Amino acid sequence: MNPLWSNIFRKKSEEDSLAYFLKTVPLFSDLKGRDFHYLESLVHTRHYDAGEIVFEEGDPGSGMYVIRNGGVKIFTRSEKREEELAILGAGDFFGETTLTAPASRAASARTLESTELIGLFRADLLELAQKYPATANRILLGVTRIVSERLQAAGQEIRRLRQAQDAAIASSSFDTEM
Amino acid sequence: MQSFSRTQYLLLFIALTAAIATGLAIFTSVSATITMVQMATSGLVLPLILALIVTFVLDPAVKFIERETISRTLSIFLVYALITLVLFIAVTWLFPPWRHMWASLEYDLPRYTAGFFTFIRDLEAGLQQRLPFLSAYDLTAMIRPMAEGIVAEILVQTPRSALRIGSLLILVPLFSFFFLRDGDRIMRALISLVPNRYFEMAHDLSFLVSRQMSTFIRGRIIEALIIGLVVTIGLSFTDIRYAPLLGAFAGVMNLIPYIGPLIGMVPGILIALIDLGVGPQFWWIVTVYILIAQVIVDNFILIPILISRVSNLHPLIVILAIIMGGRLYGVLGMIIGVPVASIIKIALLEIGQYRRAFSLPDSISEPERPG
Repeated sequence: MNPLWSNIFRKKSEEDSLAYFLKTVPLFSDLKGRDFHYLESLVHTRHYDAGEIVFEEGDPGSGMYVIRNGGVKIFTRSEKREEELAILGAGDFFGETTLTAPASRAASARTLESTELIGLFRADLLELAQKYPATANRILLGVTRIVSERLQAAGQEIRRLRQAQDAAIASSSFDTEM
Repeated sequence: MQSFSRTQYLLLFIALTAAIATGLAIFTSVSATITMVQMATSGLVLPLILALIVTFVLDPAVKFIERETISRTLSIFLVYALITLVLFIAVTWLFPPWRHMWASLEYDLPRYTAGFFTFIRDLEAGLQQRLPFLSAYDLTAMIRPMAEGIVAEILVQTPRSALRIGSLLILVPLFSFFFLRDGDRIMRALISLVPNRYFEMAHDLSFLVSRQMSTFIRGRIIEALIIGLVVTIGLSFTDIRYAPLLGAFAGVMNLIPYIGPLIGMVPGILIALIDLGVGPQFWWIVTVYILIAQVIVDNFILIPILISRVSNLHPLIVILAIIMGGRLYGVLGMIIGVPVASIIKIALLEIGQYRRAFSLPDSISEPERPG
């Protein structure tokens, strides 16, 4: 075939792979074949250079980002020093807690290298909830599942820390009593 | 003086001339481009604004029909077909009486102005009897050319504006079809141009602003419809003619705050005064206009339900918007000017509120919500 025509009639392999990529994200594991078609038209693909700020601590948060390729550093600033919280790579996502509840960002995010992020925002999700409630439902179920898992993990961590603190206080008071 | 030789002067002269020539060339080309752009877009702003308003009004209906099995394009066509059907039925049902009404109005309009003049003359005579020093002023002679000019203008302008409305009738549905179908995609494309750092904020703001705007526009349109209906029904209890026309006029004028309702009731009260005289029917008409339509229905029922007081404009801004709208697009511009000003105010308010909501130090809620 003539390369010109094959170029014109070539299927958009990029978009195909976007749906394919979204299928690999655990957040969207509940979705079915047709849902990805809607999801694809819903998300925003953004390209970032290395070292670019995605959002700063205290910014109004309205959605989550999935890393398609590249890397992102999550950190907080305390007295001008950056405290690293996490380094995320392709397939990871962040900011999912502000997807359903409006809140300020609790940490900052900066790209480590040239990065492609896929943004999913509350406004689009609300639109989807009106048009295709079933799809929105499955996305929200996935988000809820992930958030609950993290909440449980955080609760366990708090309990563990508190026990450790109690033990430390007990041992220190034991020390002072001695 | 030695430091500047003749050649240096010459060079300076040439450089300055070149600079001035370049400046002039840039200026003329820019102004030519601007006039070209102005000419190209001259008739388009009004249909575009109207199409946006129609889009905001029809969007809920389109969304209501749209399903997984019914595509958006199909649902827009369904809504259009429904509106065409309703309009067709309304026209075939109402056209014969309306045409009759229009023909008799053309005959009646000079009669009403004549009646208005006799009313003014009587008023003048009464005033001059009581206040003799006023006889120096010839009130009738002052008002007559003005009112006659207005009536002549209406009679001349009606066919001309009908032509303009005809072109609007083609352009507005066409534009709003594409806005309805691709509005989301157009907005996405526009927002995707925003730099990364501000993208999320711009995306969120555009959503909030368009939501506020659509509730506002829908509210105003529904308000105007209900006021028109209330006035029509209220007037049809009396012997007054042109009740539907007066109701429609009052409804449309109700889109303009403060001044609109007053202008909306002028023709009705005038016609009542001339045709029916001051009597129980006349007072009923005044009651319908002021007490029922404006105070009870509009102020007590519609405005609290449909429109938040936040979008209230300062009277000065209302007057400025009416004058500027009138300058730009005539009578339609006067009607649209104030809602456009309100929309701009809503957008600014929403942006301000957004910034305030998130610049507050919420140290209590933050640790509970790790992002």
